[in-house]
Amino acid sequence: MKTATLNKSDIGKCIDLLLQADLRVIAPRLQPQVDEDGPDALEVLTFTEVKSGEDHQVGEGLLPLNGVKEFLFAKHEPLFAYEKRGKKIEIIPVHHEYPQTVIIGVRPCDAASIASLESVFSDANAGFEDPFFTERRSRTTFITYSCTAPDSSCFCTSVELSPDSAKGSDLHLTEIGDGRLHVEVITKAGEAVAKQLQDLLEGEGDQAAREKAGAEVTEKLTRIRDSAPIMEWLMDTANFDDEMWQRLGEKCIGCGACTFVCPTCHCFDIVDENKGSKGYRVKFWDSCQFDHFTLHASGHNPRDWQYKRYRNRFNCKFKIYPEKFETPGCVGCGRCIRACPVNLDITEYMAEVAHKAANPNAMKADPDFE
Amino acid sequence: MSNIYQPDLMTITKVIQEAPGIKTFHLKFQDEEVANNFSFETGQFGEYSAFGAGESTFCIASSPTRPEHIECCFRETGKVTTALANLTEGDTIGFRGPYGNTFPLDDWKGKNLIFIGGGIALPPLRSVIWNCLDLREQDGRFGHISIVYGARSVQDLVYKREIEEWNQMENVTMVKTVDPGGETDDWDGHVGFVPHVLENDFKPDPENTVAIVCGPPIMIKFAFEALERLGFKQEQMVTTMENRMKCGLGKCGRCNIGSVYVCIDGPVFTATQLAALPNDF
Ligand SMILES: Cc1cc2nc3c(=O)[nH]c(=O)nc-3n(C[C@H](O)[C@H](O)[C@H](O)COP(=O)(O)OP(=O)(O)OC[C@H]3O[C@@H](n4cnc5c(N)ncnc54)[C@H](O)[C@@H]3O)c2cc1C
Ligand code: SF4
Ligand code: SF4
Ligand code: SF4
Ligand code: FES
Repeated sequence: MKTATLNKSDIGKCIDLLLQADLRVIAPRLQPQVDEDGPDALEVLTFTEVKSGEDHQVGEGLLPLNGVKEFLFAKHEPLFAYEKRGKKIEIIPVHHEYPQTVIIGVRPCDAASIASLESVFSDANAGFEDPFFTERRSRTTFITYSCTAPDSSCFCTSVELSPDSAKGSDLHLTEIGDGRLHVEVITKAGEAVAKQLQDLLEGEGDQAAREKAGAEVTEKLTRIRDSAPIMEWLMDTANFDDEMWQRLGEKCIGCGACTFVCPTCHCFDIVDENKGSKGYRVKFWDSCQFDHFTLHASGHNPRDWQYKRYRNRFNCKFKIYPEKFETPGCVGCGRCIRACPVNLDITEYMAEVAHKAANPNAMKADPDFE
Repeated sequence: MSNIYQPDLMTITKVIQEAPGIKTFHLKFQDEEVANNFSFETGQFGEYSAFGAGESTFCIASSPTRPEHIECCFRETGKVTTALANLTEGDTIGFRGPYGNTFPLDDWKGKNLIFIGGGIALPPLRSVIWNCLDLREQDGRFGHISIVYGARSVQDLVYKREIEEWNQMENVTMVKTVDPGGETDDWDGHVGFVPHVLENDFKPDPENTVAIVCGPPIMIKFAFEALERLGFKQEQMVTTMENRMKCGLGKCGRCNIGSVYVCIDGPVFTATQLAALPNDF
C-alpha cells in the first residue's frame, strides 16, 4: 500500500484541486439549520456539496448529521415519468445526473456502512440491481478521516470497527501530530485521487505514528459492548418473544428519527406523484418504525405494537443484516442514540441482551407480576 | 441502464366482476418482444400499477399452462385497488414481475393434492389448481385432487363458474362452504368455517397427500392446526404469505419475517419453514 503525508492545512487546497479536475466535492460543513438570520440560528455539521476549498470543516467536529447515505441512496427520487393519453400510457425515462464525486472527511463508521447498503442494492441481493444506487456508487470516491474525539454515544469498537479503521475507504487520512496527516492509498479510485493531489503529498507516511494515534483515540471510547453473543442470542427464535422487547421498547414513540439518521437503513416506499394526466413514480426513504409500514390492506398488522417495530429494528441491525446480507447492520456511529427524542439507546438493548445471553435463567418474565 | 422499478405496459382485455368488490382482469403485454420473453411459474406474483395511484401486489391468478394472457383477481380495498377497479377493457396498466418463488410441483409428483382456500385467497390457489389439473390431464403426474373453498357468504365466493366446473369433474372433489349466516335457500354446499369443515366434514387422509393452504393469516393458522390433528406432518403443508410489499425485489425492507424476505425467499413456504421463523406475521 502506498502512503504519504499531507499538511492538514492543505485540505482546502486538496478540495480546490479536485474541483479544478471537474469533480463534485462533498465535505462536512457547518450549515445553518433553523432560521439563517433569526435568533435561533443553529449551525449543524452536514455533508454538503462545496464549491471552494475555503468552505469546509473536514477533520473538525465529529459526525455530520446526515452521513453519506443520501449521496448514494437519494431521499426522494423519481424512477420514471408517465403520461396518460386516452387508454394509452407513455413511460418517459427520467434523466439523472451522476457526476463523478469525491466525498472527503468521511468518518470510519460511515465508510463501513457503504458495503452494507451495497449488499442490499447491488445484484448480489437476489440478482436485482438498483441502478440508481450502483450508478452513484461507481462514481463516488471516499476520502476517509480517522476520528480524534469520539463522543459518549460512539461505540464502533463494539461492532468490529475502530476510530481509525480504513474499511470502505479509498484514501484514508489519520492525524499524526504537528498538523500532519498520514495518507493511505487503499483502492484504485483512491490512487486516482492521490494523483490529482500529488503536488501536496509528500514522501512516505509514518505508519508507527498512525498506529499510535489510532490506539490513543480507541482508548477514548467509553461505550463498549460485545456484539458476538448478541447475534448468537438473536439467532434463537424463542428469544423473539422475550419479555425484554416490550419492557425496553415501550417508550419508543415511533418517530422514525433513528432510521432516517442511520447510515445502513435502506427502507423506502414507492408512490405516484400525480398532476392531472401525468406524474412521476417516486421512491423515497421510509421507516419500519411507522405503524403503516407493515399494515396489510385487510387491517391485519404483524407489528401492531410499537415495541414490535423497535424489535424489528434491533433484529435488523444485529441479525437480519449479518444473516441475510452478510454485512454489518450497525456500524456503531451512535446517531440513533443522539437523535432519539425519548433517549432510547440501542446499546442499552445490547447490554441487556448480552446479560441475558450470559445468564440464560435471569430476568424471565414473571407471569404473576402486575 | 435497466430500471428494475419500471413496469411493462399491459392492456386489459377483459374485466370480470367475480363478487361484490372483486374483479378479474385478463391482461396482455403491449410490446410483442416483452410478451414473447415472458414466462412465469405458479405461485409467483407481480406489482400491478394504476398510473397516478401507485402499485399493488397480486399473485398471478392464471396458470402457466394457459399462456394466452395473464390474469389477476383483486379486492377493492384502498387507493391503488380502487383506481384499478375503475379501469375498463382497453385501458393500460403497468406490470412488474414475475417475482418470488413457486409452488414445488416437482415434489408433488404421484401425490394426492388438497387445495384449501378462504375468501379472496382463491386467486393464488386457482393458478396452481389449473396448473395441476392441466398437468395431470397431460401425463397423470398427480393423484386425487380436492378443493376446499369457503367465503363469508354465497355472493362472496369468487370464480363461481369454475367452482361448478371443478364440481363436475370426475376425479376432483369439490368441497364448498360459507360461514354460518352466509348461506342462501338454494345453497347446496356446507355451512361452517373452512378449517372446521375440513376437520369435521371432509376429513382428508394424510397418506401420500400434500395440503396447500391460502388465506388470511388467522385462517392459515387454524387450517394448519386442523391438518395436524388429522395427522398431516408440517412437511405436507404448504402456504403462501401476503406480507405488505412495495418493491418485490428485496430492497424496500418491508416484507421480512425475521431474516426471511417474503418477496424473494417466498411467498411460498412449507409449514416446517414457517415454524422456524419468529412470530412476526
Ligand atoms: C404476495 C402477495 C400476493 C397478493 N395477492 C393478492 C391477490 O391476488 N388479490 C388481492 O386482492 N390481493 C392480493 N394481495 C394483497 C394486496 O397486495 C393488497 O390488498 C393491496 O395491495 C392493497 O390495496 P391498495 O394498494 O389499494 O391499498 P392501500 O392500503 O390504500 O395502499 C395504496 C397505496 O397508496 C399508498 N398510500 C395509502 N395511503 C396513503 C397515504 N395516506 N399517503 C401516501 N400514500 C398512501 C400506499 O403506500 C400504497 O402504495 C397480495 C399481497 C401479497 C404480498
Ligand atoms: S443503529 Fe444507530 S449506531 Fe448503529 S449504525 Fe445505525 S444509527 Fe449508527
Ligand atoms: S427495517 Fe427498519 S431498521 Fe432495518 S433498514 Fe429498514 S428502516 Fe432500518
Ligand atoms: S428515534 Fe427513538 S422514539 Fe423515534 S422511532 Fe427511534 S427509538 Fe423510537
Ligand atoms: S417487498 Fe420490498 S423488500 Fe420485499
